[in-house]
Amino acid sequence: MRGYWVRRAAGAVAVLLLVIAANFFLFRVMPGDVVSSIVDPRFSPEAKERMRELFGLDLPLHSQFFIYVRRMLTFDFGISFLSQRPVWDELRSRIPNTAALLGSALLLSSIIGTWLGVKAAQRRGGLIEKVALVSGSVSFSFPSFFVQLVLLLLFAYTFPLFPLRGSVSIPVPQGTLPQVLDYLWHLALPAGSLVLLGFGSWAIYVRNLMVKTLGEDFVLLARAKGLSEERVLWNHAFRSALPPVLTIFLLALPGIVSGAIITETVFSLHGVGKFLLDSILGHDYPAAGAAFYILALLTITSNLAADAAYSIADPRIRVGHRAER
Amino acid sequence: MISIRSLSITYETSARSVPAVREVSLDIPAGKITAIVGESGGGKSSLVYGILRLLPPEASFSGSILYGRENIVSASDAWIRNFRWKKAALVTQGAMNSLTPVISVGSQIAEVLQVKMGLKRQEAMKRAGELLEMTGLPADYARRYPHELSGGQKQRAVIAMAMACSPDFLLADEPTSALDVITQAEVITTLAGMVRRRGMGLLLVTHDLPLAASICDTLAVMHRGRIVETGTPASILKSPSHSHTRELLSAYRVIGGQLQ
Amino acid sequence: MPMHRWSFLAFFLILIAAVFGPMSLSEDPQQPVAKPFAPPAWIGGDAPPPFSATLSPADPSVQIDWKWASPEDLSIRGNLSFEVDSVSASLKWETPGGDVFNLASFEGNDDWAVDIDARDVSFKRSLGISPFENAANLMFPSLGRYIISIEGTPPSGGSLTVALPGGKWGLLGTDQRGRDVFSLFLVGIRVSLLVGIAATLLASVLGLSIGLASGYLGGAIDSLIMRAVDVLLSIPVLPILMVIVGIWGKGLWQLILILGLFSWMGTARTVRSLALSLRESCYVENLRSIGASPFYILYRHLLPEALPVLLATISLGVPGAILAEAGLSFLGLSDPRVISWGRMLHEAHGFGAFTAGAWWLILPPGLGISIICLVFLDMGRAIEEMADPRLLKGGRR
Repeated sequence: MRGYWVRRAAGAVAVLLLVIAANFFLFRVMPGDVVSSIVDPRFSPEAKERMRELFGLDLPLHSQFFIYVRRMLTFDFGISFLSQRPVWDELRSRIPNTAALLGSALLLSSIIGTWLGVKAAQRRGGLIEKVALVSGSVSFSFPSFFVQLVLLLLFAYTFPLFPLRGSVSIPVPQGTLPQVLDYLWHLALPAGSLVLLGFGSWAIYVRNLMVKTLGEDFVLLARAKGLSEERVLWNHAFRSALPPVLTIFLLALPGIVSGAIITETVFSLHGVGKFLLDSILGHDYPAAGAAFYILALLTITSNLAADAAYSIADPRIRVGHRAER
Repeated sequence: MISIRSLSITYETSARSVPAVREVSLDIPAGKITAIVGESGGGKSSLVYGILRLLPPEASFSGSILYGRENIVSASDAWIRNFRWKKAALVTQGAMNSLTPVISVGSQIAEVLQVKMGLKRQEAMKRAGELLEMTGLPADYARRYPHELSGGQKQRAVIAMAMACSPDFLLADEPTSALDVITQAEVITTLAGMVRRRGMGLLLVTHDLPLAASICDTLAVMHRGRIVETGTPASILKSPSHSHTRELLSAYRVIGGQLQ
Repeated sequence: MPMHRWSFLAFFLILIAAVFGPMSLSEDPQQPVAKPFAPPAWIGGDAPPPFSATLSPADPSVQIDWKWASPEDLSIRGNLSFEVDSVSASLKWETPGGDVFNLASFEGNDDWAVDIDARDVSFKRSLGISPFENAANLMFPSLGRYIISIEGTPPSGGSLTVALPGGKWGLLGTDQRGRDVFSLFLVGIRVSLLVGIAATLLASVLGLSIGLASGYLGGAIDSLIMRAVDVLLSIPVLPILMVIVGIWGKGLWQLILILGLFSWMGTARTVRSLALSLRESCYVENLRSIGASPFYILYRHLLPEALPVLLATISLGVPGAILAEAGLSFLGLSDPRVISWGRMLHEAHGFGAFTAGAWWLILPPGLGISIICLVFLDMGRAIEEMADPRLLKGGRR
């Protein structure tokens, strides 16, 4: 157990450092003066000089890197070219929105996908299995933004049930409950579309895993015990398939974060992904680097969470091999 | 008594139909050990799982399996669920993958007690420990997970689980095949001892003729889905009448097995 | 036989469309052909189709049989030359009701340059209507026959072109700049196919060499490469691509290069496990024992064995590259001069296709991407089935 956690944590730290290093070098291999990628070219010469000092740009590269790592770890991302405000202030208000979008989409699509996958494996050749297979193909081949544009066209234009854009109404409604409802109303279509796109591939993976698990001896024995079919399915087969299901979660996570960037763009949400795009399009390099870093950090954190869930679901990791007595 | 009367089991796939069991009639009396031996793929396992009606949907039955007055082939699902484990429990190759890997051994035994016997969780866990002790495992192994047990220990745990509801019959499908020779003997002795002490009926299915002969009361030889020979082990070993029995015997003689 | 799968036929058709489709276009697809957001002709109802006619010395009068709603614009442009010295000519507009407007008149001894647009304020003023009214609307009060003619001194040369931008157009309507969506769609096939296939090929070559190196060399190199694969698979690729494209530039070839550089990981894994299982196999052992060089073994034995699996991996990898290209284009991170399906959706999203309800800007490129991806997925599965199942077991995760 401890060995597992040391390995996982070391892996996460290594990925984090790699992301920081990639960030550091990506924005320094750009054509032109290094300063122009970190300091707004429109700043006054005095301000530029101050930024140079702050970033240690006159120091050797490795010292610059250490300064950079420290600043990344303390969320000190510098000043945005576009808004002239600290990048962290810009990001801080956006992180909860992105987390809410990712969280709700992941939760719902995993629940729906898992249920569908388990049922599809239980009744091979049935209607549910066909639904799972078709929706899986859709997940793999339909571009997310296309499906979302169609949904927008249908449910925000033709039948105006949901807002066309934004995370909140303008003006913001008064009172906590109306605000929450307004927020959910804006989140419904983006998160719903991510669920619609995500559950199919999820269902297919779970189905394949469950088909394999249902052929195992212990499932036969559980049936032989005269347990109800639901109990055999969930308590024995699904619980045993849960660790590999969590592995899928790990593999799917980066794709879902990528999907969130596109989703935030389609629905003009006030999130980190949209901020990343706007920063890149506006050549706001400190902001783009910071947004990328935050997205990577969100992924790494969720990765660790999934690892934790894995270690709880799989006794082979939770208890390891106790010494024979 | 479980009475099998002219039972045939056929697997119907879209391409062809494969008969696994053909016109088998056999009595499995309570309190006795009945053994079926035969080569692999000869339909022995289909017979065992047929008794519990655990065959895949593409298997079709004809004939009957009588338990008391009920015909298992046509009984209701509710009756079958009650029959399973309370009347007849299965012992599979525990060394392989018979235990759910993510549930502790004790909880798996306790689950049956809770669901089938209506025991409370705590009582059930205590009883699970006692059952494990009966098969020669320490009671605190109840807290262990399958991956922490050796092959022989898993097999004992599977036997303990089969005894949980004190069924009238144990159906053992190759219970020892995956174990080494010494563990095989230990496990089979434990199994036979418990069955005899409690007056249960045991149907032992194996390809190991000497092993079966060493403990059973009645021996049936199965070949290509048919029972070709039935009798006491002594008489069959002395004068095997069917060529397949002779083949099975000679295989062990060649390897050098010393029969009693 | 899996060769009879629909996807192979579909792939063939897509290839033909990609090669010959854009060649069949007579006009530059970047040029406007009708009014912006004109719906497809088959659902346009009584919206007018695009119309143009030429007035010339030989043909100084044109009749228009009008069967549609009033157009939103009308233009008359061109030059007329006269042989006589003092010219007095005018352009007359006669409605079905018999009303006659004077659209323009000319007095002088030179060429007459006509440049009339119904939206011009000066033109509206010359007709005596308010600048806020739609002149084209007023010029077409009812259905019937309209006559436009040059009166007065007959011209000796030059011509005038009367043009009405259509309110509906072609198979798939027009976009926000009045361009033909069907032509754009045809041109877009090429980008999707080119980027999808080229990036995947690049990724496969990379994956093949890295995977072979990893599996064949083993040891520290192997574990280093596999850690790198794990890391690359655990961070979202799209933001990296966005940053690199944003810094590097948006060209098509740069995009292919970047996509290829970031999608070799799956292939490398597959090839590595294949190489591992083959390295352990007896016959490679035997080859080695009779003195075959590693290169010979690789070239004559491993590669042919790996080929079907590789082909399937390529086919299954193309949708990923196509979707990535479309995604980046949709985000606006592509060359604006290159027409691609992702770019079309980007413009539809950014330039108000929604407020116009212009579904014809969204469905064709979106379905196009989806169908190409489905075709490659199905082909990949078919190739997988054809390939030796023994290999697939070793090669797939």
